[in-house]
Amino acid sequence: MRIDWNQYDSGGFYDELISSPGQPRVAARVLANYLKSLSDQKLARRQRAAELAIEEMGITFTVYSEGENIDRAWPFDIIPRVIPLREWRQIEAGLKQRITALNLFIDDVYNKQRIIRDKVFPEAMLKSSKDYLPQCTGVSPRHGVWAHICGSDLVRDKDGTVYVLEDNLRVPSGVSYMIQNRSVAKRVFPELFRRQTILPVDDYPAALFDMLASLSPRKLDYPEIVVLTPGIYNSAYFEHAYLAQQMGAELVEGGDLVVCDDDCVYMRTIDGLQRVDVIYRRVNDEFLDPEAFREDSVLGCRGLLRAWRAGNVALANAPGCGVADDKVVYTYVPDFIRYYLDEAPILPNVPSYRCEDDKQREYVLANLKDLVVKPANESGGYGMLVGPQSTVKEREKFATLVQKRPRNYIAQPALALSTAPTVVARHLEPRHLDLRPFILSGKDIYVTAGGLTRVALRKGSLVVNSSQGGGSKDTWVVDSGGRS
Amino acid sequence: MLSRVAERLYWAARYIERTENTARLLNVFNMLMLDLPKGVGPSWGQLIDICGGNAEFKAGYRSANARNTMTFMLSDRNNPGSIITSVGLARENLRTTRDIVPSDAFESVNELLMFVRRRLKSRTLHTRMYDFLSEVVHRCQGVTGMLAGTMSHDAAYQFVRVGRNLERADMTTRIIDVGSAALIASDAELERLEHRLWTWLLGALSAHQAYRQSVRRQVTAPVAAGYLLHDTLFPRAILHSLGEIRSCLKQLPRSTAAVRAVARVERLVRDSDMHEIFPQSFHAFIDDLQVALGDIHSCIQRTWFEPGGRGQAVG
Repeated sequence: MRIDWNQYDSGGFYDELISSPGQPRVAARVLANYLKSLSDQKLARRQRAAELAIEEMGITFTVYSEGENIDRAWPFDIIPRVIPLREWRQIEAGLKQRITALNLFIDDVYNKQRIIRDKVFPEAMLKSSKDYLPQCTGVSPRHGVWAHICGSDLVRDKDGTVYVLEDNLRVPSGVSYMIQNRSVAKRVFPELFRRQTILPVDDYPAALFDMLASLSPRKLDYPEIVVLTPGIYNSAYFEHAYLAQQMGAELVEGGDLVVCDDDCVYMRTIDGLQRVDVIYRRVNDEFLDPEAFREDSVLGCRGLLRAWRAGNVALANAPGCGVADDKVVYTYVPDFIRYYLDEAPILPNVPSYRCEDDKQREYVLANLKDLVVKPANESGGYGMLVGPQSTVKEREKFATLVQKRPRNYIAQPALALSTAPTVVARHLEPRHLDLRPFILSGKDIYVTAGGLTRVALRKGSLVVNSSQGGGSKDTWVVDSGGRS
Repeated sequence: MLSRVAERLYWAARYIERTENTARLLNVFNMLMLDLPKGVGPSWGQLIDICGGNAEFKAGYRSANARNTMTFMLSDRNNPGSIITSVGLARENLRTTRDIVPSDAFESVNELLMFVRRRLKSRTLHTRMYDFLSEVVHRCQGVTGMLAGTMSHDAAYQFVRVGRNLERADMTTRIIDVGSAALIASDAELERLEHRLWTWLLGALSAHQAYRQSVRRQVTAPVAAGYLLHDTLFPRAILHSLGEIRSCLKQLPRSTAAVRAVARVERLVRDSDMHEIFPQSFHAFIDDLQVALGDIHSCIQRTWFEPGGRGQAVG
């Protein structure tokens, strides 16, 4: 049997590849026609080849379960998600606009707090944000940038609108999988890369290196850049090692670093202590420096904040930038764009209700069944209520939680996430997906071409996190020569 | 190169070498206990003493009989010198430096650990002890060869070589220390016993053939001990190992103090006269030598593993 696009039905959701039964979207035409020429067997063979390649390349992620760390092969679906170049340019502009405003906001709240004085953003909101760190007040990192690496989650609703679901500003992960997905896709569909122009993604490590180098407090031809990892037990250790290796940077653990009396950071090497200029840290704020934050942390390095405040080392991302990653703060981002840039937001937020506001909370409590309730400071899809799929008991639990700590919750309508054809038992079925592009900000702003597409492999599921049964796809930004 | 990485590679190599030499030591000891008349020669208690495990042993066992001693040396995780502890630590050190170590080498250590775990649980372990211990020796040699043959011979590899040779020198002193146990025998038996004992010890270090070729004399305690200490060509002889360490250290930055520390120990060994030392002062000499080897380790530790340990910038 061959793939018949007339039989493919996305069930009323916006499908990224097929606009209506039998009708591929323009940018996906080459791909759809090619897939049509493959038999079920051939398709299954390509999927197996991809899985084998992933095992051989050792692409894994770590799941922490029942007291043990398990290295699992990265779940990958061979059918790529396609985005037309023209649409992508628009999204890219929106992401640049957004990160610019976010960085202006972070820099403002830790310095002059103009936005609070001008009553655009309430002071109480700032003070109650878990990730607002008073220890960071008065610091001006280079280029005014705090969130150097951002991994925003984008989703598309039924009508085709692309929304920003959240801005991950703390230690976003997944970019190494984006690069690996591309190298697997090239092995699986080499002919499709020859037949059309697909924007490359493998320049990311070089862009990351250049961005990090632009942060160096010392003017050096070769600043010392290190990647700080919590260690081998962290779920993203593979990525930390991969990025360090690709950039030619040292992969260090907290114990490798020492802050001396001169408030400079050094790493312990066989040549003695060596000054470190830039730290791409993949350790969360609270574990970064036992002197400034959690005293019991063994993952960080004593005195790091002191060295950073003195301007002797750059930290990416800067400590405290998570203040803009709070889901309640998220609801203000369109206001930030208007306030700081005097521009209309290019990319919309998902409409959101702040539970702290009495009227909005009333609405949320009355409509729990149709809403998604999210805690302000969790990531990875934990601790949230998906209304349409919830039980009465779960809704009661959340109603209590929301009433007890309204500041801690926002609610959004359950979006009808877009779909794309995905290999399920030798044929193609629609599955829901999102997109995580990565944005680098230093002297300049760089956006990956596409990003990491995550797909919920279970039928009907909206949860795309790899720790909860999600997989991923390669993302193709296709240049169809103006006809997109 | 990061100090942490250097330190882990150094210890990985030490634990591999320790595993191999412990297997060699246990094999020769088992043979000796079968071969020597009862009441003469070394005792199981001395084996524990030689391996420096007295305190840990006393905490867990009542009598130093064959069974207890072998359990302690093979599978007791409270014994820092047991085979299971050594292999486990070798693996742990390599696992956390996987980005530096060739994957084949890591895999063979991983397989060694699985093999040891499996066999230590096996019911036929005690009847097939020789096979088990010989296979451990072979597998360790395999790991060492894998590292030598597939790892770039850069600074990282020098730390592997230093660790291996320092541990080897230390373990050779422990193995020949078994020879001092012969002193317990009565004068009448001493000569015959000594001959047999030292032939076994040469065998334990795979040195018998090389000894025959280069010494061409009857095996006596002072001559055999002198060979294992002074020979510069046989790879398990102390002076050879020290020479290796010195040549590795010279390739590392800031090595003056460590090279000098090695040279001091080399002089101590070279200047020793076995005919003078044997039999009374032999054990004491071995003790001194072990302390001196410990000094080399301390110096390496200070120089490369703990730069700025006291919060001071260096270099």
